[in-house]
Amino acid sequence: MTDTRDTNTHFHQELEELERKVLSMVDRAEQMVEMAVQAVTSDDTDLAARVIELDNAIDQTYMEVHQDWTALMARNQPLGSDLRKMTIFIQLNVLFERMGDQCVNIAKIAQFNKGLPRVQRICEQIREMGDLVRPMIRTAIEAYVRGDVDEARLLPAMDQPVDRLNANMYKETVAVGANPQLLEWATKMLMVSRALERIGDQAVDFGEQTAYLITGERAEFDEDGMAWSTDGNDES
Amino acid sequence: MNNETYTEEATLDTGAPRPEVAAGPKPAGAPATSPNHVMETRNMSIYYGDFRAVADVSLGFARNEISALIGPSGCGKSTVLRSLNRMNDLIASARTEGEVHYHGTNIYADGIDPVRVRRTIGMVFQKPNPFPKTIYDNIAWGAKINGYRGSKANIDDLVQEALEGAALWDEVKDKLQESGYSLSGGQQQRLCIARAIATKPDVILMDEPCSALDPIATLRIEELMLELKRDYSIVIVTHNMQQAARVSDKTAFFNVKLNETGMRTGRLVEYSPTEQLFTSPNEKDTEDYITGRFG
Repeated sequence: MTDTRDTNTHFHQELEELERKVLSMVDRAEQMVEMAVQAVTSDDTDLAARVIELDNAIDQTYMEVHQDWTALMARNQPLGSDLRKMTIFIQLNVLFERMGDQCVNIAKIAQFNKGLPRVQRICEQIREMGDLVRPMIRTAIEAYVRGDVDEARLLPAMDQPVDRLNANMYKETVAVGANPQLLEWATKMLMVSRALERIGDQAVDFGEQTAYLITGERAEFDEDGMAWSTDGNDES
Repeated sequence: MNNETYTEEATLDTGAPRPEVAAGPKPAGAPATSPNHVMETRNMSIYYGDFRAVADVSLGFARNEISALIGPSGCGKSTVLRSLNRMNDLIASARTEGEVHYHGTNIYADGIDPVRVRRTIGMVFQKPNPFPKTIYDNIAWGAKINGYRGSKANIDDLVQEALEGAALWDEVKDKLQESGYSLSGGQQQRLCIARAIATKPDVILMDEPCSALDPIATLRIEELMLELKRDYSIVIVTHNMQQAARVSDKTAFFNVKLNETGMRTGRLVEYSPTEQLFTSPNEKDTEDYITGRFG
C-alpha cells in the first residue's frame, strides 16, 4: 500500500496519550536520580524530601497507566506493533515506578545519614555513578523515541563501569575502618551504590524493550550489547 | 426417530483416500503434495470473465490445523475459499487457473466431477442454511444424496455421531423430528456443521460462519472448531481478526493491488503462523492492516 490511511485514529490517539504518560515517568525518574545523588552526597535533606514528593507523582501516573492500559486492552484488541507497544508499556510502567522507588531509597538514606561522619572518596564515587547512570536513562529514552536499536544496544557497554564501581564499593566500605558511625554511614552508601547499579540495569532493560518493539524479537542484550540471547536466559 | 428404511450393508468409508475425488486422472507431472498438506493451491488465479479477481495464490493447508483467510473486502479471500471445493464453478463467468490439490490430486483436472468435489469438501456459510427438513433429515438426507446407503440403525448412528461432533446432540436429541428452522441461529449453524461432517470429509471450509451469530453463539462455534481440528482441517474466511487470532494456527492475509490499468486484483501478501502474523508480521501491508492503518 502506498497511500496508507489510519482508520483506527481514536485508538492511536489514546495509545499516544498512554505513551506520553509512560515516558513522563522516566523523564521524572531521570531528574530524581540527579536530585537523589546530590542529596545523599551533600547532606541535603530538603532535596531528599523533594525526591520523595516527586515519587508520589510517579506512583500516581503508575496507577493511571494501569487503568488506561486495562481500558485500552478491553476496548481494543491491538495487534502488530500496537500490541507490542502495549506489551512493553505495561513492563515499562513497572520499570519506571521501580526507578522512582530506588531514588526514594537513596533519598531516605540521605535523611538517615544526615550529620554522620563521611568519606569524601565514597561520595565522589557515588557522584560518578550518578553521572554514568543518568546518561544511560537519556540514551534509553532517545533510543525509544527515535526507534533506534543500535542506540539501545549501546546501553550494556554504558552499564559496565557502573557495575565495576558498584563492585568496588564493597572494598571502599570495608576500608573505612572500625568507627561505628562511619561504618554505619558507609554501609548505607553501599545501599546507594546498589540502588544506582539497579537503575543502570533498568535502563538496559528499557533498551531491550525498545529493541523488541522495533524488531519483534524478544531477546536480552549480552554484555556487549551487540549480540542477542534468544533462549530467554539471562546471560548478563 | 425417522421412520424411513434404508438399504442394508453400505457403511460410510472413514478412511483416506476419498474415492469421490481421487477417481479422476492425476495430471501428468503434478508435483507431490506436501505430506502434511491436505490441500494445496498452486499459482492459482481466479477470473470472472476478463477480470482477474485473485492472482497467483499458493497456499498449503495442513492436517489438523485451522487456517484463516483475512483481508479487506474485495481482496478475494472468499473467492479463494470457494475455489477449494469448486463452488466458483456455479458462477458462469468464473474461471480458475493453476491447481488445487486435494490429497495430491488436482481437483480441477479433467475428469473430476465438481459436484462430487463439493459433496466431499463441505462448506459452512455466513448465514445458517439448514434444509427445510427435520433436524434428523438435515443430516440423513445430506448423507443419502452423498451415496450413503446404510441401515436405519446405521443412519441413526451417523446422525448422532455428526450431531455429537458438532456439539449439538445434547440440545436436540429429544426433538430430532422437529424442523431445523426451529433451532436458534447458533444451533442452526452447528446443524450445518454437523451436516458437513456427516460426509466424513477431512477438510471443512467456513465462510464467515459466525457473522450472523451473537457473541455467545460465536464462542461456541469457535470452541467447536478447536474440537473439530482434532479430526479435520479447517479453512475459515473471517472479517474478525480477533476470531482469526483466537482459533487459527496459520493466517493468510490477502490485500487488493491495483494493476497498471487500474484493475483491482486480490493477492496473497503473507501466510504465517497466526501468533507471528498478529504480533510481528513480515510484511508492512499486513502490519498496516492489522493496526488499522489501511488505505
